[in-house]
Order: sequence, then structure tokens, then C-alpha cells
Amino acid sequence: MTSGPLSLSEGRQFTQLLFCTVSQKKRILVADDSETIRALLQTALESAGYEVDMAKDGLSAYELGSNGDYDLIILDQLMPGLLGLDVITRWHDEGLEAPVLMLTGVDDDRTAVESFDRGAVDYVRKPFRITELMARIRMRL
Amino acid sequence: MFSDQLVPVAVLVIFSIDAALLTGLVLLKSVHRRRMRSHNVRRQGYLGLLSRHISFDDSVDPITASMAEDPAFLDALIDMRNAITGDEISTLHRIVNHHGVIEKQMRYLDTSLLLSRRLRAAVALAELGDETAAETLMRHLDDREPEIRIQAARGLGRIQWTPAIDQIVSRFSDEIPWVRVRFSDTLIGYGIKATWPLLAYIRINHRFGSKGPALALRTIGQIQDDQAVAPLLEILEETSDLEIQIATVDALAELGSPEASAALHSRLESKHWELRAKSASALGALGDPSAISRLTTAMRDENWWARRSAAAAIARLPGGIASLYRSLDDDDPFAADAAAEALADAGELVSARERAKTIGADNEPLLAHMGSESRS
Repeated sequence: MTSGPLSLSEGRQFTQLLFCTVSQKKRILVADDSETIRALLQTALESAGYEVDMAKDGLSAYELGSNGDYDLIILDQLMPGLLGLDVITRWHDEGLEAPVLMLTGVDDDRTAVESFDRGAVDYVRKPFRITELMARIRMRL
Repeated sequence: MFSDQLVPVAVLVIFSIDAALLTGLVLLKSVHRRRMRSHNVRRQGYLGLLSRHISFDDSVDPITASMAEDPAFLDALIDMRNAITGDEISTLHRIVNHHGVIEKQMRYLDTSLLLSRRLRAAVALAELGDETAAETLMRHLDDREPEIRIQAARGLGRIQWTPAIDQIVSRFSDEIPWVRVRFSDTLIGYGIKATWPLLAYIRINHRFGSKGPALALRTIGQIQDDQAVAPLLEILEETSDLEIQIATVDALAELGSPEASAALHSRLESKHWELRAKSASALGALGDPSAISRLTTAMRDENWWARRSAAAAIARLPGGIASLYRSLDDDDPFAADAAAEALADAGELVSARERAKTIGADNEPLLAHMGSESRS
């Protein structure tokens, strides 16, 4: 370990590294009406270096997702306002390109298939392993 | 004169008491609202704290003893326990054990004089699903409070504590109906481990009352254990109780085993229309098209519900729709009506309308099935 002021080249390297990290910070929207899930995902995602926005109902999820430039959207199915499947359908119709990962307590294959049909890239059932979910997110980003 | 002076005083006193009561109520409500808000803020904080512990094994954020005492912390623990699965639950269990959360809740459940605290403890133990609470929960299956008995069973089911199965089943006869139904839900969660204790309970008790055994039979149907088919058929032969016979037929229908077919065929001859109707429905659930012929005869039953059930069962079987079309020309007009209704229910509206034209527009049950379009 060296201490003291950085040399010019070290300083440049540090600035480049910092710039690179900031400019590549991926943005994720988490839409879930469960406060617990939001807290868990916010903690895990922010600690992993992602920039995270939160929505707690279907309508605000739709609005944030439509207006924000997200690299990934994590979307619950059963939310007040609009169901996750309805939100993803609207985005699909509007040509939103952000990949959507469905995270849902709905445990039936039909919902999973419908989610994929409407453009979801992944489907995770609740309760879930946070380590597995993080791995799936890393794979998409 | 004296009483005239008393009236305004009395009005003033009553008004003052009312105002004082109202102020007290408003104050209480305001205090409660503030406490709830503060509780939720703390709970949110604890959720973040627990999230860090679950997301990072090496999290150094301290969880202090005073935090662990906080009811908001308990709520956050329960919420988190329901959100995660797999290895991460063990992190949560480490926190729970380190702070003696389970021991504390067991103590509250055993000794607290406050019902609300005991209820809260029972729910917490049921939700956290820790095996160290099993013996305490077993004791509280006999608790004087119905909701605590329910939570005790739920907690034991959550940790799949098999010694509890017999005790839960044995309470079926004595329990109040809504507790019995919740016990049934718990036993369904145990899966096939509960089949034989339930069957044993039915065998012993079906002669002494039908409520408990009937629910036990429906529980078996929900568990979906094929091994129950043969014992259920024996029970169907042995019992003369109508409610138990119906519940057995329901369970056989849920299990959907072709072994039950012959027994169900013979129940179509029962003197009880309820059993004839149930047996017809069950034959539809088994999916065996060889039942169509016998069910077609059952469409001429003297009872309208039995006729309707037989026709609906035929509609579920392979080749059943074609058979129902043929029955539209049955000599028995009631059988033809039943066929038309079943066809309408199956989405074959055109044929149902034809039938309506033939029999006239006053056939209300049939028209009701076809909706307003055909009425006009």
C-alpha cells in the first residue's frame, strides 16, 4: 500500500476508474407493493452498485417505467392499481425496451407463460433467494 | 321551582361529561395513530437492517437487545421470514436465536395475562417456524382460546412437526367448526403424512357423528394421496351416514382414481338424491367415458339436481358432448332439458337455443342458461 499524494498517472487512472463506475451505474426499477420486498431489494441492489427507483403500485410502476431509462425492471404481479401483467402489456405495446423480470407470489404456470408472452425476460417466484435473484440480475445486465 | 333550576344544571353536567368523553376518545385515537406511525417507521428501519444481514453474511450493523425487544422488530422478522427462502432463512434464524426471540414469545404465550400479547406470541411462533417452539405449540393445541389453537396448529404444520398430526386429528370431533376447518388446512399442508392418521380417525369415529369425519374425508381428498382410495371405498361400503357417504364420494372425486368407478356407479341407485347427484358428478371427475351410458340413464332421474349433475358430468367426459346432442331427442323431456342445459353450460349455445324453440319459451331454467340474447 502506498500512502501520500497520488502521482499524475495514478490520479488519471483513479479519475478514469471513478468516471467509468459512475457512467456505467445501471438503473433498476423495483415495483412491488410489499414494503419488505422493496427494502430487501433496495438494500441488496444499492449495495451491489445499482441505482434503484421504487414503485409501490401498478400505476406508478407504469409511469416510472415509461418515463425512466431503466436497464432492468423488477415487477410484481399482484399490485394495487394495475396488475404486473397489465403493466408489462402496456410497455410491450409502447415498445419499451427495458428487460422486465417478473417477481411474483402467483404460483401458476399460466401466469409465467403469459408473462413471457408479453415480453418478460425472466420469472422468479416468491419467496425467493436473494443470492439467486442477484445472480439472475447480473446475468441480464 | 327547584326542579326548574335543576334542568339547566343537569344539561350542563351531561354536556360536560359528553365533551370530556369525546375529547378522551379523540386523544386516544390520536395517541394510537402516532404510536402506529412510529411503529411503522421503526419497522421500516428494521427491514433495512435485516435486509443488510441477509444480503451480506459479513454485515456489521448491530442488532441490539433493545431492538430485539421492540414489537416492530418482531413484525419485521416475520415479514422477512415470509419473503425469503432457502439458506437465507438460516441467517434469520441465527438472529432470532441470538436474541432469544423464540424463548421470549414462548414465555408470553405460556404466562402472559394479556390475550393480545398471547395472540401476538402465537402468531409470531407460527410465522417464524422454529422447531424449538414445537413442544410449547403442542401444549397450546388445547388452549382455551380458539385463535391460539389455530396458530399453534399452523406453527406445527409450518415446521412439519409430525407428532402433532395425531393430536390435531383427534380434536376434529370436539372442535368448533371454524377451528376444525383451519386444522384441516394445516393437515393438508402436511401432505401424505396426514393420510393414515385421518383414515384411522374416520374409521373409529364415523359411527358416532358425521361432522368431524366428513371434514377429515374432504381433507384426504385435498391431500391427493392415491393410497387413500382403497380405504375410502371400504368406508363407503361400511357407513350408512349420508353426510359421510357424500364426503367420501367427494374425496374419491378429488382423487380421480378409476378404482372408484364401480362403487360410484352403484351409488347412482341410492335412495338419496344427494348421493346420486354427487356420485354422478364424481363419475364426471374420474374422466372415464365408459360412464356415459350409465349417466345418460341418470339424466332421467326423478330429481332435477341429480339429472343436472349427470348431464354436467357427461359434458366433462371424452365424447360426452356428442352424447348430449343425442340426448336432446330423448323421449323423456326432463332428460332432454338436462342435456340442453349442460350443452349451454359447455358453450354449445346453438343447440340449446334449438331446444328452447322446440319446448317453447317458458322453460325458465333453460332460458336463464342461455342469457338475454336467446330470450329476445
